[in-house]
Amino acid sequence: MNEQELIQGLRNGDEAAFKHLVETHQDRVFNTAIGIVQNAEDAEDVAQEVFIQVYKSIHTFKGESKLSTWLYRITTTRCLDLLRSRKSKKRFGFMQRLFEEGVEPVYEIPDFNHPGIALDRKENSAKLFKAISQLPENQKVAFTLHKLEDLSYQEVSDVMKTSVPAVESLMHRAKLNLRKLLEKEVE
Amino acid sequence: MKIEQNNRIEEMLNSIDGCRKATAPDFFYTRLKARMEKEILKPVAQKWILRPAFAAIALMLVLLVNGFVLLQKNQTDDNLNIAVSETETMQSIASEYSLNVSNSLYDLTQEK
Repeated sequence: MNEQELIQGLRNGDEAAFKHLVETHQDRVFNTAIGIVQNAEDAEDVAQEVFIQVYKSIHTFKGESKLSTWLYRITTTRCLDLLRSRKSKKRFGFMQRLFEEGVEPVYEIPDFNHPGIALDRKENSAKLFKAISQLPENQKVAFTLHKLEDLSYQEVSDVMKTSVPAVESLMHRAKLNLRKLLEKEVE
Repeated sequence: MKIEQNNRIEEMLNSIDGCRKATAPDFFYTRLKARMEKEILKPVAQKWILRPAFAAIALMLVLLVNGFVLLQKNQTDDNLNIAVSETETMQSIASEYSLNVSNSLYDLTQEK
């Protein structure tokens, strides 16, 4: 099934086409999500939401970009939404604890271990992922897509709807920021 | 010391290079399908309640009923005031001309 047939099938509500889409793209959606949200359960939730959104809004897909680019775009947007809601919950929990007694502190996510990292690198990668989680949104997305999904700068720029020099600049700043954050870890 | 620190940082920065990609959990499609059936197919019947148009109409209805009740109450008060003032006028005329009417009932069984 080529991409045009797949899109047509999705538009017609064909279940076989939808199953084909999910089975073809589930790993890349999940891998991107786990890299950004840094939690396997949340990543699965995000991946499910991505495919539900595709199912609902396939009629709005104009076909100007590749289907995979569109999927990456939805995934990164959903991941950032989740991170924002996590942050606001944390802030709200902190405020609640200030004014009310007996409120349990908000659950802190422990150090993240990516399932694809070799055992001897786990300690270092956990520190790197902790630093990645502190990067500004754009830098986080560019760095994750390039490093974890092996996308080229051109592909990252298509997903982020920006230019290649802008992605290069984002990557450069991301590396500088990571270096600063890791320096604190080493000290 | 500085070189050692730099090497450590480089090691950390390169720790995810060439890492294996994470794969979606088993039975992902089955779970997704179950969620879709739950989320997309069932709530259709209740979703219309959350529509802004419905909320606006409901609010308008409440305001309309409120306004109607208030209007009715004012009218009743006015009618009551008119009735009270009429009774007062009649009573004052009656007392002026000594036309007191007794409302007591005659007991027909009583002998005079």
